[in-house]
Amino acid sequence: MQTSFTPAQLADPHVAESEKILRRCVHCGFCTATCPTYVTLGNELDSPRGRIYLIKDMLENGRPADEEVVTHIDRCLSCLACVTTCPSGVDYMHLVDHARIHIENTYRRPLADRLIRNLLAAVLPYPARFRTALGFARLGRPFAALLKRVSALKPLGAMLDLAPKSAARFSDAAKPGIRPAGAQKRGRVAILSGCAQPVLDPGINEATLRLLARLGVEVVVPEGEGCCGALVHHMGREEQALDFARRNVDVWTREIEKGGLDAIIITASGCGTTIKDYGHMLRLDPAYAEKAARVSGLAKDITEYLVGLDLPKLEPRRLNVAYHSACSMQHGQKITMAPKNLLKAAGFTVRDPAEGHLCCGSAGTYNILQPEISAQLKARKVKNIEATRPDVIATGNIGCITQIASGTAIPILHTVELLDWAYGGPKPEKLAAK
Amino acid sequence: MLTPHSESDAAYVIRNAAAQGTKLAICGGNTRSGFGNITSAEETLSSRGLAGIVDYERAEMVMTAKAGTPVAEIEAALDENRQMMAFEPMDHRGIMGTHGASFGEPTIGGVFAANASGPRRLVAGAARDSLLGIRFINGQGQAIRAGGRVMKNVTGLDLTKLLAGSHGTLGFLTEVTFRVLPVPQTVETVVVSGLDDAAAAKAMAAAMALPVEVSGAAHLPASVKGRFLNGALPAKADGAEATVLRLEGLAASVAVRAEKLAAVMEAFGPVSRLGSEESRTLWREIRDVHPYADGTQKPLWRVSVAPSVGHQLVAALRLEAGVDAFYDWQGGLVWMRMEADPEAELLRRYIRALGGGHATLMRAFDAVRAGTPAFEPLPDAVAALSARVKQKLDPAGIFSPAKMG
Amino acid sequence: MSEAIRFLPPRQTVLSRRAAIVADLADLLPPECLVHEERELVPFETDAFISYRRLPLAVALPRTTAQVAAVMKYCHRCGIPVVPRGAGTSLSGGAIPQEDAIVLGLSKMSRILEVDYANRTATVQAGVTNLSISETVGIDGFFYAPDPSSQLACTIGGNIGMNSGGAHCLKYGVTTNNLLGVKMVLVDGTVIELGGKHLDAAGYDLLGLVCGSEGQLGIVTEATVRLIAKPEGARPVLFGFETSEEAGACVADIIGSGIIPVAIEFMDKPAIEICEAFAQAGYPLDVGALLIVEVEGSDAEMDAMLASIVEIARRHGVKTVRECQSATEAALIWKGRKSAFGATGRIADYICMDGTVPLGKLPYVLNKTSEIVERFGLRVANVFHAGDGNMHPLILFNANDPADAAKAEEAGNEILKLCVDAGGCLTGEHGVGIEKRDLMRHQYSDADLAQQMAVRSAFDEGWILNPSKVFPLEGRE
Repeated sequence: MQTSFTPAQLADPHVAESEKILRRCVHCGFCTATCPTYVTLGNELDSPRGRIYLIKDMLENGRPADEEVVTHIDRCLSCLACVTTCPSGVDYMHLVDHARIHIENTYRRPLADRLIRNLLAAVLPYPARFRTALGFARLGRPFAALLKRVSALKPLGAMLDLAPKSAARFSDAAKPGIRPAGAQKRGRVAILSGCAQPVLDPGINEATLRLLARLGVEVVVPEGEGCCGALVHHMGREEQALDFARRNVDVWTREIEKGGLDAIIITASGCGTTIKDYGHMLRLDPAYAEKAARVSGLAKDITEYLVGLDLPKLEPRRLNVAYHSACSMQHGQKITMAPKNLLKAAGFTVRDPAEGHLCCGSAGTYNILQPEISAQLKARKVKNIEATRPDVIATGNIGCITQIASGTAIPILHTVELLDWAYGGPKPEKLAAK
Repeated sequence: MLTPHSESDAAYVIRNAAAQGTKLAICGGNTRSGFGNITSAEETLSSRGLAGIVDYERAEMVMTAKAGTPVAEIEAALDENRQMMAFEPMDHRGIMGTHGASFGEPTIGGVFAANASGPRRLVAGAARDSLLGIRFINGQGQAIRAGGRVMKNVTGLDLTKLLAGSHGTLGFLTEVTFRVLPVPQTVETVVVSGLDDAAAAKAMAAAMALPVEVSGAAHLPASVKGRFLNGALPAKADGAEATVLRLEGLAASVAVRAEKLAAVMEAFGPVSRLGSEESRTLWREIRDVHPYADGTQKPLWRVSVAPSVGHQLVAALRLEAGVDAFYDWQGGLVWMRMEADPEAELLRRYIRALGGGHATLMRAFDAVRAGTPAFEPLPDAVAALSARVKQKLDPAGIFSPAKMG
Repeated sequence: MSEAIRFLPPRQTVLSRRAAIVADLADLLPPECLVHEERELVPFETDAFISYRRLPLAVALPRTTAQVAAVMKYCHRCGIPVVPRGAGTSLSGGAIPQEDAIVLGLSKMSRILEVDYANRTATVQAGVTNLSISETVGIDGFFYAPDPSSQLACTIGGNIGMNSGGAHCLKYGVTTNNLLGVKMVLVDGTVIELGGKHLDAAGYDLLGLVCGSEGQLGIVTEATVRLIAKPEGARPVLFGFETSEEAGACVADIIGSGIIPVAIEFMDKPAIEICEAFAQAGYPLDVGALLIVEVEGSDAEMDAMLASIVEIARRHGVKTVRECQSATEAALIWKGRKSAFGATGRIADYICMDGTVPLGKLPYVLNKTSEIVERFGLRVANVFHAGDGNMHPLILFNANDPADAAKAEEAGNEILKLCVDAGGCLTGEHGVGIEKRDLMRHQYSDADLAQQMAVRSAFDEGWILNPSKVFPLEGRE
């Protein structure tokens, strides 16, 4: 569509990029149909097309962000269903990233909102802090209902609700070092330990390490790696996000140069989407652009990597698995068939819940910052999943696991945990009763 | 009777009538004169002087004809090219007793003015769905063109639909352009015997839900069955009622679909089949409401309701009045002949109670007609709106006043 | 933004009362159902016809028929124009507001109210998307037939407003042929029902009149539509031709032979390339024109029909014939076709024409269209419903270049006049909207238009419903 930016505005590479993205949009409205917030709220302003328009208007006029624009951008889950739907190839992801940075730079949020965002940004990306915070959360849980009655404090209440009921155990999975191939070596990869996942569910990477070892893949857990930066990136805190990215790029570049890497394995698709975008995020940093692009090129979701290993086909087992495709998996990384094909080959019966394209409402910190919309999406998602009468739910992202688990009694596992079990690993604890 | 021979003559006549406030009854061959309330027109204006096929694009399956062209002439031209009007326009002469010297031939204009549709209406649409464009003279004597000659056309307000089924109360049709379709190579009828009305409704709904493209679904209870095909419908041993389901298309395809349909229908009752020739006759008889083309003036209703409730309506009425009935359109079109009183209020109350629809009195003794609204009375807001619409097309109120209420 | 098409001058009496009107609306609607902050109004300033834009006075997003009625009653009393909006996917600007208008959006009314298989009907709120009906009843073997390319997003209310068509209308008809009833709010807030689960409404065919009336006769809030049993199977087949003329002639011959496939879609070379880049559907890239012909029924039926079609295509020098082998493949073929307009956005801005012509005139009109567009120094991609002659030339241009945009509009106008002159019409399924309003006199005489306008006035004497659309501003009553 038509845009009106001055040459001076276009001198800013971020604006120039956004202008290019906006030019592609033909305002056809297809994106509204698959947008979880539009489907829930029925308001153009809470649709991708509406947000694109709000962003366009804000950027063209060089205006600081205001309360109205912030409200609607904040409601965006960044699920990127719109990107999958868009026939014109509008790169909504980078447009909304730009808008979020613009908001962070030009808009002063109300005090409570600021404090909560600061708290999240200061705690979640750091496993030690997060672990400690979860301890407090268990103490605070009785107050959750109380907090939710005060609108500014609702996010705190939501946070307490989401915190696991019991402390996660400590695990060696994130300990730096090399895990040798258990069979004849056929590859060497690095694995992302990440930030929140090892605290919430260390079993995922344990299963990954076991499975890869049995398959003859040497795995490096590099020293100094950390949060991928997605959490703060989605809050528009660009510098902090880029710092995380640079640190990880450094760590993996060292590994690449030292022993070579076939892939950088990621077991949380939310992180995968961001790491695959490092090349873009750091494109304007001459010292990092090239290295970051190389890292992004090597980043692979665990299922993406596993399909390349030609796992043997196993006898069918009587277990119905509802596969929930995380948004970051299907829309962010366009990985749709690999996880299901792996599960099928491993003998599971895979069910596709209706409205599979819709987000479960987790979306990073969304379930904390937008608890009401998140709760509606969760209910809708759980209803669709339960309609397939599954024995277990499989998905590829820790955020979805936490979110969906808080809404159903059906056990939910990471895809790789089921694969590890099928290919000789221990039976996941959550399936003890099955 | 005024029979102008050109559109401009017609316009002239109407302009004069409007100026003098002369009320005109509009007709073609007047064979559908049983429709509507008795009108107070002073003159009759017929389109029979405007006759002839204007254009027939066989490859594009579109025909344009002057409104007074006899249906028989149109059908002959179509037949020659193995084409047809898919909506199967009914011939009203049988039930209305409008044969004979004092009446003309049914005209194509009359077909569309009455929105006359037959059994295939269920799947292929009504006359109005095939009507692409019209020319008509409005109540001020202006020649108006609406629609066009292409199938897809959403340019402006769809006056074509509005005029279809308006029984000459909104304008005087002078020319119609409509879509035609190839005649199916083969027709076959699957007959299920011995079903009562309720069971037949279930069987027909089941048939329509199958991917076999049933193009006609009628239920002929015991009282009427014998009147079809000279009594040649499957024998009494199989039961006194016949539920008939029509399949059409390429011979090979019809054979396969008939097998599938018969297999499912066997769960409902004994199944037999009719071949192409018998089928064509049977469905024409259903179309023309053969059992009630009985030469009587017994009140005859044409009722349209949701298919699943047609038989409930008849059952309810039977408790209070003498009713003979059969069903087309999967049970949603009920033809009802009343023994004595038309029971209009009772019937219409039941229709409302069963979720809505409409009842049209097609025929009755004059005394009865005078006291019974022939068309379903409309809710106040819709009636007021309809009156405003009529006023915009016929400001002087000269076209068949009171005919449609 | 283009300026060639005028809007009605805003009613100053309305503009000057803006604050009071917003306050009054706030009494009629819950807060989340009313948009009035100027910044938030911007995204409602246009639909999918983005050449024209106007900021509305406010946007009402009611949840119930009662709320719609309350808003209408108020606007009627105060003489405030109302522009109805479904999903805002109109390609003719049907939902573009004006400065003194309330946009009445039905997007919050998106529930399927009842599915009745015995009577094969679905009753839905107007904001339900077209596709969601078929998705809901699909598992039980039914579908809702009209399938506009925007069916993923467009609403039933909008479909009724425009009498939308789609690829599969060749066999099943357009919206008006599949609509059984509506609940609608008249301009003064009165709620009426037309039709229902039965066939052929009583009295005048007001339902037929409302369908395609572009939101000028009232606000439809609920609709009852016809469901159809899904065919046993369906198979799209790709036919590649050297030239558009050959493909066009082949279409006319297929229909002329008495075979009526479910759909015959046409794409020329630019359109094939655009769609293939998006959908990777396997369209042949070495041909000048492509037909997607879909047949349905049992395998035997489809084989028989296809054999005849292939024979006809061979007579027209078909270059490649590819039968689709699986449901996934079929889905991709249709995804590519249905995304054609949007996918065009990858290479240029475009406006999409919608004229219909008699089938025999297809090759001639295609040729002439190219000539016209070339004369203006622009490019064109053709992708359309060939089976019913409903053309969609996409005129490509650069929206950031005002001269280019003006040329595109002029070329478009010439093409539409060409369609009318060839015996067709201005719009087959997108509606007149604002886009084709000023061309109406090319198709209709003054008396024809005056009659339409008079009937329109019977519903809305004060012309407050979508007033800038459909009828030329000059010569209104």
